[in-house]
Amino acid sequence: MNEIQEFTHASPRPLPVIILADISGSMANEGKIQNLNNAVSEMIGSFREEQGASAQIQVAVVTFGGREAELHTPLTSAESLAWKDMTADGRTPMGSAFELVTEMLEDRNQIPGRAYRPTLVLISDGIPTDTWEGPLQTLLASPRASKATRFAMAIGSDACHDTLEKFLGDSPHGVFEAHQAREIRKFFKWVTMSVTTRTRSTNPNQTIALDFDDIDDVEF
Amino acid sequence: MSSFKQSTTVLAYGASERGPLHARESRPNQDAWMKASGGFGTLVVVCDGLGSRPKSHFGAQQACQATREAVTRWSKSKDAPPNLLVRLIEINWHLRVHPHTPEETATTCLFALRQGSGKWIVGGLGDGLLAVVTGANWQCYIGERPEDNFANETDALGSRLGSKKWVVEELPATSEPRFALLATDGIGDDLKPEKVEAFGHWFCKKFGPMPPRSRWHSIRQSLRHWPTPRHTDDKTIAVLHSIP
Repeated sequence: MNEIQEFTHASPRPLPVIILADISGSMANEGKIQNLNNAVSEMIGSFREEQGASAQIQVAVVTFGGREAELHTPLTSAESLAWKDMTADGRTPMGSAFELVTEMLEDRNQIPGRAYRPTLVLISDGIPTDTWEGPLQTLLASPRASKATRFAMAIGSDACHDTLEKFLGDSPHGVFEAHQAREIRKFFKWVTMSVTTRTRSTNPNQTIALDFDDIDDVEF
Repeated sequence: MSSFKQSTTVLAYGASERGPLHARESRPNQDAWMKASGGFGTLVVVCDGLGSRPKSHFGAQQACQATREAVTRWSKSKDAPPNLLVRLIEINWHLRVHPHTPEETATTCLFALRQGSGKWIVGGLGDGLLAVVTGANWQCYIGERPEDNFANETDALGSRLGSKKWVVEELPATSEPRFALLATDGIGDDLKPEKVEAFGHWFCKKFGPMPPRSRWHSIRQSLRHWPTPRHTDDKTIAVLHSIP
């Protein structure tokens, strides 16, 4: 046995990916929730195959439907994550999701200092039904959350672009618009590629700029 | 005081190993380290060039030299405060990396100096590990990352707030054994926080008594077979040890 093993972490440096998923009742329409489930599951599968990566990709899913946000999937390495489909129901408590994610990001037991900068992915097809401005401001102002790479997708024409744009802040990419359910998959391919490219790079903290339009050519 | 000088053995040793990522990409080791002794006493320096900067390996090497030069000059001025030492390190480093820019040569810099009088100065700018054990007393000056930092985020020579972020400590001479452990973040980040002290003691006990050449080989071997899965970083560690 390597003697140093006694003193060192047994797992690679984590690279957390946290998804904030709208599971309000409207997501049950036009196959949106099913497409979202398939896309997230496919993304986790791609992460699982990243064995040569320098970081361990970890995934957490915070859902917001019903009365308040819930931790659907705690932060778990993609390799050992068994995906459980989300179901759509209730209102759109997005502010509650922002609060939950801020808490996660600031908790060094969940996301230690040796982790690479997290990625946050917000998906919504509607308007928040709770108070969201304050919680979003807290999220963006928190020292660790403000460093996260952020992506956002608006599903359909009823999504609140204003909220999603504010969530992105000064991120280099704009809000991805999914007019049809199948475009949800394209968005997640883009997120997947961005994350896996980071894990193979010299500096996994650096955000990699990828073009949406190239994504259809990429097979995972 | 003079009895410390006459009967104390001072050991300085360390090693550096290029990480798997740089080896795979045929890129140089961006860490550097140095041990030196002279009229100023005994010095060890450990530097970690910032991975994303094109000339950071050069910056790290120059930071070692800049520290030695600064210590030599600073020691000649009786009772000069340590903050002048770190200012000298910065100026020397800027001159040494010129005409490259500080941004493209940015590097962390950790050092430990034992002066002939038995007094120690330890200092550091950036991440990694800098700890001192005096007898049974463990003191970590640079270790766990600040609250809001993630991996690879660090202050450095060449960063905007560099000179304001130095940690410097003057330690009085002691009749007890004392060692300083310096390491880059390729080691520091992978050590469990609660095991760092035990690691320091283990390291000195294992490698300290070896003959210099086999010690250097053995430390490199250990760094090459670093156990954390998927580790990629360059790894450098050095010890300054005084044994009365």
